[in-house]
Amino acid sequence: MNSIPIISLCLLVTSSVSYAQSFQSPGMPTSGPASGQSGRFDNSFNPALGLTLDLSGLYTDAPGSANDGLDLSLRTAELSFGAWVDPTAHAYANFVYVEDELVLEEAAATYVGWDSNATIKAGRFYVDFGKQMQAHIHALRTYERPAVLRTFLGEELGGDGIQYNDWTTMGDATVVRWSLGAFGALVSHSHGHEGEEHEGEGEAEVASEPILRPDLDELALTARLTGFADVSEASTLQLGASVRYLPGFEIHHEGGFVEEGKEVESDLSNTVVGLDATWSWLDESGTEGLTVGGEFLMIDGDLGGFFDDAGDGLGDPTADPADPIFLNNSIAVIDDTATGFYAFVDYALDMRSSLGLQYSQVEVLEEGLPELDEWDVYYTHKPTEFQRMRFGLTLAEHEGERDTRFSLQYTLFLGPHSHGVNF
Amino acid sequence: MINKTIYIALVLMGVLGQTALGITPADKLNVVTTVPDLAWFAKEIGGDQVTVTSLSKGRENLHSLKVRPRTLVSISKADVLIEMGLSLEATWLPELVLASRNRKIHEGEPGRVNCGENWVAMDVPADLSREGGDLHPGGNPHYALSPRSGTHIADHVLRGLVAVDPSHEEQFLERYTKLTERLGKAEKKWKRYAELFEQSKTIEMVVTYHSEFDYLLDYLGVQSKMAIEPKPGVPPTAKHLAKVISHMRDESIPLVLTANWSNSKNVTMVASKAGAKVLELPVMVDGEPWASDWILLIDGLMERLRRGYGLPELEPEKEPSDQGNR
Repeated sequence: MNSIPIISLCLLVTSSVSYAQSFQSPGMPTSGPASGQSGRFDNSFNPALGLTLDLSGLYTDAPGSANDGLDLSLRTAELSFGAWVDPTAHAYANFVYVEDELVLEEAAATYVGWDSNATIKAGRFYVDFGKQMQAHIHALRTYERPAVLRTFLGEELGGDGIQYNDWTTMGDATVVRWSLGAFGALVSHSHGHEGEEHEGEGEAEVASEPILRPDLDELALTARLTGFADVSEASTLQLGASVRYLPGFEIHHEGGFVEEGKEVESDLSNTVVGLDATWSWLDESGTEGLTVGGEFLMIDGDLGGFFDDAGDGLGDPTADPADPIFLNNSIAVIDDTATGFYAFVDYALDMRSSLGLQYSQVEVLEEGLPELDEWDVYYTHKPTEFQRMRFGLTLAEHEGERDTRFSLQYTLFLGPHSHGVNF
Repeated sequence: MINKTIYIALVLMGVLGQTALGITPADKLNVVTTVPDLAWFAKEIGGDQVTVTSLSKGRENLHSLKVRPRTLVSISKADVLIEMGLSLEATWLPELVLASRNRKIHEGEPGRVNCGENWVAMDVPADLSREGGDLHPGGNPHYALSPRSGTHIADHVLRGLVAVDPSHEEQFLERYTKLTERLGKAEKKWKRYAELFEQSKTIEMVVTYHSEFDYLLDYLGVQSKMAIEPKPGVPPTAKHLAKVISHMRDESIPLVLTANWSNSKNVTMVASKAGAKVLELPVMVDGEPWASDWILLIDGLMERLRRGYGLPELEPEKEPSDQGNR
């Protein structure tokens, strides 16, 4: 009964070994000019491996919300690989286990073979927007990204694409960097409990999708320009501007009750612009310091959609979607401009401990653009380079409802941990 | 409209970037060092043929060095990068070199000088596990505080400068010779300090916070059997601190030795409860105003340790010419 799968497995193993030993004859797959380093079984040239475990304990007081109560969980487990491909390129990949799924969040190579500072990154990677969007969620200062970033860009925003990056010096104490990215699709996603879907949020029945095979003018684009300067012996200032243009996405309705042909709104687009500033001071030992920063964002265009039920009987379980009463139902697209910002102050007490306060305000991308306010107070302690503990209190207010969340986060880094983040 | 604006902005950013790339050729060799100690050696040997920049300052904690804009500017323009090695700078230098896109200072290039090569290090771990704390696989990297390391570092710096700028080999060699003569003279004095410590019957041990002073203490014959850090890079627990205090009382250890960047409440508390004194010392050149060069740093460290233990002053060295006149 089970003989076929077993035989198949044996054949697979046999062929893998043969191929790996590079015992090939004409007509078989070849790997090109080689010195045997990619076909060997020893680990001399294997990539650096790292594992990051992000554990969290949350207690949320949000009556009526799905987040209410206690939640102890392994938030994410990230397996990362990194290595030089050859003298002109290095590559990395991050697989993340989250909510019983293994997701390839990033897998990209960076070409560094030019004589100038220019580099090209290609593959799947997070967007270069502001100072936080390149970072994975476990690497943030706070338990979550600020509300304005989650709302306008998503908890995490990555895509398959290509990015040009370059930087230059201006004088002896200033560096200027810029990047341009083009993506076939940008997909935002969350890491569980407190996350939220990005595009098309608002009404649960309405969801957005990027188009799968875009034309050139439908590529999602990102750009960033930032200057980083020493402003005194002990302090630095970084200013930046970022843009993310998302064209050609669709919003569709999946719950019925909408006339056929009206379930999808397509050819939608929006643009997010961000301006950020970060000032930092360090004492002479470089261990005690103060960082103050913030980012203002504006999103313009098609912000999302909601189900316009025209006053019918939606929600009645006995209703018939084919009833002519639903013919006037439609998806209403929110075509508007919304703004938001976050600001923070973070005080490093010493090499291991820091205390921070963050405030974020954003117009939520729902009908009427209601405001969300969020306060975070957090204390971070790193007993060693490979462990981090964080205690946080988050207060959020949205349309008169208040949520209070206590968080305890414990993050372990086994082995190297790097994401190829630019300043 | 928004589309057009974005495309124009993207093009402008690209153009601006390309025009800003011009690099002025330097008249002198740009030497960048990771620590001020190496900068001093590079200045002594390079003289007028080099401009030298240290990426860290004398009081900075090398374990948590933050990269600043001027750091990136300096390293991107470097002809030579001189590092301590033995993974002392491992937490920040590799990423910085990669970001600098300066191929002249990549590992294996003539412009990369690793002074840790061929140094016989103390405390080479037999077992590489994080259970041992913040381990350096090549051994204790704080060898710049070994009085024996002067000539070793000077050799590496000389070789690096000559490799990159052979046209000034003669000048480099001339300054190197003068420097080694000064080092030789200083070493005679340091040996007398070592003899003084050896002769003293009161000196037994010292407790340190971290392992920066191990080479210096080893040279002087001062034992350091216990550190306030239970393992390198691991902060002490209350239990460990109690053990240190008990040990200090039992052994009548008079001093807790700490670097100026790691002098913490724990150090003060341990010394106070054990009835000992805290001796805070710099670990790099420019760590204190009196430590403005490497020879003065080692001189000053030995002198302050002597005072810390209450040992008699060094007798003035007898000049050979005086003996001849008698």
